[in-house]
Amino acid sequence: MRAVKEDERRTLFVPRSVKPVAATAGPVILFTAGGMRFAVEASEVEEIRDREERAAIRRLKGAEAIDFAQRVGLGAGVLERFVVLKPGECSLGVSEVERMTTLPKVVPLPGLFRGEERRWYRGLLLLENEVVPLVRTEYWRAAAQPVAQTGSGA
Amino acid sequence: MKDTTRYVIFPLGEERYALDSSQVKELVMPSRVYSFPHTMRALEGVLVRRGAVIPVCDLRGAFRHGAERNLYVIARCNYAGRVETVAIPVSGDCELVQGERGEAPENVTFVTGLLRTGGRIIPLLALDEAVAHCIQPTALDREAKQ
Repeated sequence: MRAVKEDERRTLFVPRSVKPVAATAGPVILFTAGGMRFAVEASEVEEIRDREERAAIRRLKGAEAIDFAQRVGLGAGVLERFVVLKPGECSLGVSEVERMTTLPKVVPLPGLFRGEERRWYRGLLLLENEVVPLVRTEYWRAAAQPVAQTGSGA
Repeated sequence: MKDTTRYVIFPLGEERYALDSSQVKELVMPSRVYSFPHTMRALEGVLVRRGAVIPVCDLRGAFRHGAERNLYVIARCNYAGRVETVAIPVSGDCELVQGERGEAPENVTFVTGLLRTGGRIIPLLALDEAVAHCIQPTALDREAKQ
């Protein structure tokens, strides 16, 4: 083994990421509700229906719809489109479905947000000049389930 | 030995407060605040800085100052046992000073001590307490959890 001369020493440089941990999401569908923009992962969406189509589907399947704007505190929404979540038993009623976008960056909600929003959203998408909440579909599917009838126990 | 701690002094309405500079990450000019529905009072939304999202916390609930803002002080605070980064809107110019830290007066909230610098006495902001006081969950959150 050869001794390293003083003038051959090099500082070991380990590059470290200076950016916070950010993941990328698969394709997402952007929609508006209550005048604000949100996103849902495309892989979680069964289909998108308009108001008339949904009425027909509901008669057949009894799919539960959620007024998304109202549930997040934006007031009763204008429900023009229904984002049907897989496997098709729940839909988010929204104003408009805008477009699909691929591989946006997703960052976690900052820790100061400690309320119900942690259940509503999986994180925040950093799009060009915009920050859009990415909805947590498992929460919304559960929210659409009818509350189980339980006895009073009295 | 002389204390070399530096402090950032900033205005919150009519009053000026100080934070230890080690707690302050940067001062930024007003930029777009991205808002989205949530349930935490006093959180206006987030700023995006170099790919990170930073919540903006309006401390008017603690200090009752006006809505004007010239800068954001981006600082670290402890909240619920974790170190979080928060952007505080402030209403005027900031200074970086050295000074001598003294005890906080009794019966004063959101102040951890007094900074003596250049003939002035500036309260040291208890940022953790002020943020925790301001960002209470709103009624919407309480209803959802019931």
